[in-house]
Amino acid sequence: MKTLSSKAITPSQQGRVRGGSLLLLLVMLSFSLTSCTYNKLVEQEETVQQKWADVQTQYQRRADLIPNLVNTVKGYAAHESETLEAVIAARSKATQITIDPTKATPEQIAAFQAAQGEVSQALGRLLAVSENYPDLKANEQFSELQAQLEGTENRIAESRRLYNEAVQTYNVSVRKFPNNIWAMIFGFEKKTMFAAEAGAEKAPEVQF
Amino acid sequence: MKRVLLILLTWFVAVSTLMAAIYTPDNLPIPYLQDKTQYVSNPDGILSQTTVDSLNLWLGQMETGHGVQTVLAVVERIEGGETYDFCMALAHKYAIGSKEQNTGLIILLSTGDRAYYILTGRGLEGTLPDAICKRIENHQMLPSLREGDWDEAMLNTVRAIKAYIDGDDSLVGSSDFDNDDATALFWFCIAMLLGLILIGVGIWWDHRMKSYCPSCHQYKMKKISSYTTKNKRLGIRTHHDTYRCSNCYFTKELHWDEDLHSGSGAAAAGGALGGSFFGGGGRSFSGGSFGGGSFGGGGAGGRF
Repeated sequence: MKTLSSKAITPSQQGRVRGGSLLLLLVMLSFSLTSCTYNKLVEQEETVQQKWADVQTQYQRRADLIPNLVNTVKGYAAHESETLEAVIAARSKATQITIDPTKATPEQIAAFQAAQGEVSQALGRLLAVSENYPDLKANEQFSELQAQLEGTENRIAESRRLYNEAVQTYNVSVRKFPNNIWAMIFGFEKKTMFAAEAGAEKAPEVQF
Repeated sequence: MKRVLLILLTWFVAVSTLMAAIYTPDNLPIPYLQDKTQYVSNPDGILSQTTVDSLNLWLGQMETGHGVQTVLAVVERIEGGETYDFCMALAHKYAIGSKEQNTGLIILLSTGDRAYYILTGRGLEGTLPDAICKRIENHQMLPSLREGDWDEAMLNTVRAIKAYIDGDDSLVGSSDFDNDDATALFWFCIAMLLGLILIGVGIWWDHRMKSYCPSCHQYKMKKISSYTTKNKRLGIRTHHDTYRCSNCYFTKELHWDEDLHSGSGAAAAGGALGGSFFGGGGRSFSGGSFGGGSFGGGGAGGRF
């Protein structure tokens, strides 16, 4: 290759070739860096979306448990209709809100969180009320439903934690230099985490 | 003064024993890591040895048969008293269960906190749904717990869990045990082979160096005579070997000492090596490792 170029190409041409190959190298390097950054951002965004799907699955699981729970409680504590209706209302309100995490604004996430928080509070009140009915508490089905509900609440907390972790990883990538330049060009934006809930996470007050 | 000191000492001992009985996910002993047949962590000796042995046997069958990796802990007290948080922290710390199946299982009983929890890995949520966990607790665990019969509570619980696990054919057994042993054997063979090659090369090199003729630089020296002298006081036998080059007839003498005790020493070392190999082959002393299973928060718990 070396002998070939020295024979066929004059020195001035040689310089041009060298400059051209340097440029080509630079372009390729920046492309490979970009594609690397870009792929990483895509992967992390996918992870965020997947974790969000997990969160929604767990919320849906809770929503699916509620009709069964309400029916069971109704059989023993029919005159707690107010509490029961509150649960149903909160559930139907929460299930109406579905959001796409790629486009969700912080306000939308907050609205979603608030609606689900209301379900948590209504359920908490229902379970607190059910403490007053020994027959209900002794009911096998109710005990198992309660366990399922508690398990689901735990799963919700865990999936939210994992979602927040994924968002944090992604956000750090998006904001770091030089990734932020590529993120800006390709339109990767910062995503919103779940805030620690002030109201909904609080254990419901039990009044006797 | 003496009495004050005595009181202080008693108080200190009482406090320290009380402190030792409160476990955190970090200081809870996990015997499995040292010995992979030990699934039960019973640091306060709450369960009897017979119970622990039975539980270990069943939990071992669950791992070999269905790949379910369990940590069963029975303690006096846990920090914070929240069994779910404790189990979850354990799950995160050790990643119990296989990575492919996520079949980790944690069973915790804290007798002092009067609380228990069965935490299921993601892969077990189908086999052991929360409702089933609760049912097992209500029927198998609670009656015995109320009577303070910890042994019976744990035996019944694990028996019931095992029945559910055995009923699920989708859970694939771990071949970890056999795999580990096969891998160990493979590496042992490789090491043996390498050792033999090294010894062979050494012997060949020794022979070549002895046959080197410093006069004509050819490898044509041959041993023509040899005799030994013995020094009993020092325990040394000296070899006197005479070599002659078949090319230029150059002659050289080699003298080397042999330690008379080293022969028996080598035999002893060989024996020790063999012994340690066969000892290491025994399964009971090899530690286990957790597979990297993840937990989503499934399971159920309660208080009594």
